[in-house]
Amino acid sequence: MATTAVDRVFAPTRGVLQEAGEMMILTGRTIVSAVKPPYPYGAEFVGQFMFALRLCWFPLLVSTVAFGYEAPGLQAANFLVLFGALDRLGGFFVLASIREFAPFVDAIVLAGVAGTAITADLGARRIREELDALEVLGVDPIKNLVVPRFLALMLVTGLFDIYALLFGVFGGVLATLVNHQPLGPFWATFFNNASTTDLWGSVVKTTLFGAIIAVVCCYKGMTAKGGAEGVGRAVNEAVVIAFLAIFAFNYVFTQVLLATHPALTDIVK
Amino acid sequence: MSFEDSEGTPIAGDLADGSPAAAAGPELTTRPAPPPGASEEEYANHSYKVYPSGRRNVVEFDNTYKSFGRNQILRGLTMGIPEGMVSMILGPSGTGKSVCIKHMVGLLYPDSGDVRVQGESVPDMPDEQLFEMRKKFGLLFQDGALFSSMNLYDNVAFPLRQHTEKSEQEIEEIVMRRLTEVGLGYSRDKLPNELSGGMRKRAGFARALVLEPDILLFDEPDSGLDPVRTALLGELILEIHREMMEDAKAQKKPYLPTFAVVTHDIMSARRVADYINVLWRGRIVEAGPAQDMLNSDNPFIRQFLAGESQGPLTMD
Repeated sequence: MATTAVDRVFAPTRGVLQEAGEMMILTGRTIVSAVKPPYPYGAEFVGQFMFALRLCWFPLLVSTVAFGYEAPGLQAANFLVLFGALDRLGGFFVLASIREFAPFVDAIVLAGVAGTAITADLGARRIREELDALEVLGVDPIKNLVVPRFLALMLVTGLFDIYALLFGVFGGVLATLVNHQPLGPFWATFFNNASTTDLWGSVVKTTLFGAIIAVVCCYKGMTAKGGAEGVGRAVNEAVVIAFLAIFAFNYVFTQVLLATHPALTDIVK
Repeated sequence: MSFEDSEGTPIAGDLADGSPAAAAGPELTTRPAPPPGASEEEYANHSYKVYPSGRRNVVEFDNTYKSFGRNQILRGLTMGIPEGMVSMILGPSGTGKSVCIKHMVGLLYPDSGDVRVQGESVPDMPDEQLFEMRKKFGLLFQDGALFSSMNLYDNVAFPLRQHTEKSEQEIEEIVMRRLTEVGLGYSRDKLPNELSGGMRKRAGFARALVLEPDILLFDEPDSGLDPVRTALLGELILEIHREMMEDAKAQKKPYLPTFAVVTHDIMSARRVADYINVLWRGRIVEAGPAQDMLNSDNPFIRQFLAGESQGPLTMD
């Protein structure tokens, strides 16, 4: 009986590890396939890029303004007002928005809007055996479907980070104005603390978020099974895994960035 | 069995290519052991007889094992698909018929054993060679597997655009000829979701044909079709096979066109098959030209081909 008890404990773990491993393999194969000629995925790349752009620009605008205004904006402002230090809100926005919230909201919206669309699309194609048909017709689905989605999501998520930053900071501006304060001190503390390292760190981080979302969502779509219900399950799992992976990766990336660039941790008055 | 190539009486051992079908003959000298974990009793009705077809095998399974989790699907499958014939892979549901097809085109790999296509081992092929090899195949999926974002015309033209340098005009000629052949010439601009199941199958058939493959595989072409449509599709299969045989002979192709149909529909098997492989519990019970199989005295084969409830095959 000992073996069955061990099995019962480790069998689910093995499934998780296997999936994680398969996603790693998919990442590797996608990168190799993207670099190795031929490059037949241009049109699909443009299509996917425009698709994500069209799908995400509005939800992202609403989320970043609302979130930036409310969470780091109003909440922090309420707190800073106690010390009569509302001018420091600008400096806080560098920490909060550029480093954390804007990339986060960006990734969550992209995963929830574009990522799920990818999983549902590929999942439906898997169920209808379209992916098998492609392979039998001599078309490599990784090169023709995964690579363009991978590149498009990386680019889109990276670019949308800047968009999310702008609107996130705009939320802070709103919060300052709502507290009847001038914007001068906000911008002064903002630019005192902002650095180009923060900016490129944020963009690189979100580009990699895009890569994570693309791999997870493509993997879940391409391995969907069990009919229409299976596609639903795949979409659900894709979002959950993508979020967890983003949160974990964010922690590692941001801490590594701060550790390797200690100047970032100095708060400038 | 309406054309001469399949009617010629097979001469045992006239091909010394070492393929199981040609070499084994009807009488088996050594009986293979049952697969691991199974009793001899479960395989009592497997006589493993292979009546000679007189042709070389273009596809061969050699002691192939495949399982999904705890589900053992192929359990030491040894099977041949003879060249230039319409072969049927018959068997009860869930015996791994579709899995067989996926092994032939390299969508699945065996856990052990070998699958050879035109003498070359599929599991050993590097990716590039595998993609090349797949061009020899046409595959009709259960529901057609048409690309839902493309209309019928583009679906059928897809393989030509992907693999040939033909001009759009030449492509149109070929595509329209194939679409007309399967009776869909008038709905070229329709999207797959605007078609009935039978039409999707026929469109999938047209797409599988455009590259004039050496081997055409049909995954349950009769599932979800009424008996009349099934009969018509069977006729269409025979007609196109006959036509391709004539073309192949005229062009002196190295391989004659081979069709393999996976089904559990005995009626279409009787009408269409030149050669029958009966699969049960992941192994071949018996295989041979249709006449020999229909006259077989194996109780399982008799039960299955007659579609009776009495016999070795039960609900479990």
